[in-house]
Amino acid sequence: MQIKLGQNLLGANGVIAGEIRRLMEEKGIFLLNLMSSPGAGKTTLLEKTLTALKDRLRLAVIEGDVATTKDAERIARLGISVVQINTHGACHLDAAMVRDVLPAFDLDSLDLLIVENVGNLVCPAEFDLGESMKVVVLSTTEGNDKVLKYPLMFREADALLLNKIDLLPFTDFHLDELADDLGRIHPGLPRFDLSARTGEGMERWIAWLLAQVEGHRRR
Amino acid sequence: MALMESLVRVLASEAPRHNITQIKKVKLTVGALTHALPDALRFAFSVLREQPLFAPGAELEIEERKTRCRCRDCGADFAVEGNLGFLCPGCGGFAVDIIQGRELQIDYFEGD
Repeated sequence: MQIKLGQNLLGANGVIAGEIRRLMEEKGIFLLNLMSSPGAGKTTLLEKTLTALKDRLRLAVIEGDVATTKDAERIARLGISVVQINTHGACHLDAAMVRDVLPAFDLDSLDLLIVENVGNLVCPAEFDLGESMKVVVLSTTEGNDKVLKYPLMFREADALLLNKIDLLPFTDFHLDELADDLGRIHPGLPRFDLSARTGEGMERWIAWLLAQVEGHRRR
Repeated sequence: MALMESLVRVLASEAPRHNITQIKKVKLTVGALTHALPDALRFAFSVLREQPLFAPGAELEIEERKTRCRCRDCGADFAVEGNLGFLCPGCGGFAVDIIQGRELQIDYFEGD
């Protein structure tokens, strides 16, 4: 006997992501899904972003990691509410993992909840977490080929942060090539060139993010 | 592997509803943009089919779908080769909708 299903393999994830999205809308929380490959500098960028915003917005963080709590400890040192999800080997967060940690936060007193996804440019792009926005971090030390090799990630993203621009002189990274590739994959994608380490370019990104969060709250 | 585990979860709940105790075949449609590699899916399936839900040697059929887009400006429907080039070849517009290539779907399963 043949049973027709026509069911999306990730259907269950989509349902839970929808629940999260509705809950965030109801509470007026901007949920940011931050993604990159390992080593792009997500956690440092997050630390600097949180430091710049913590007097202006009520913040919290969900840290996704395959096994360790190192990143969550770094965020907790800033005095920001953080919950760690260990994926036990899985290469991405899924909506159920996010939903399960939400009770750890006081959702009535939050403006911005940032999810630091597991370092990986493939699977995280596939799993809707119910986020308001996806931001991908690319670093100059990773080389120019990432955009074309992982097009879905760069197509899905709502903004691109090019990190480690202080290291440009020591790499073979070309900004023109990045612009060309983005033009093919995701024309018009907001892009911020910055260095989380030196602080260069951070102000533009912070101002933009703040505007997104405030725009979301006014909706 | 996570995708195939998700497949097993779906089948484990669907099969009893149709009085199927042993699944002999599963058919999936996999879009090029999903990055779900058919060979990796087949390997994961060969491991997971050892459980009682599946008949010995249960088969996995995968239909691969190329990426296609439709231009919002001129309405052209075009294939995207190798996941690249999301620009309309007709008018050069970049406001395009992905209409095919993101599928990750269980079409049907067969069993007794």
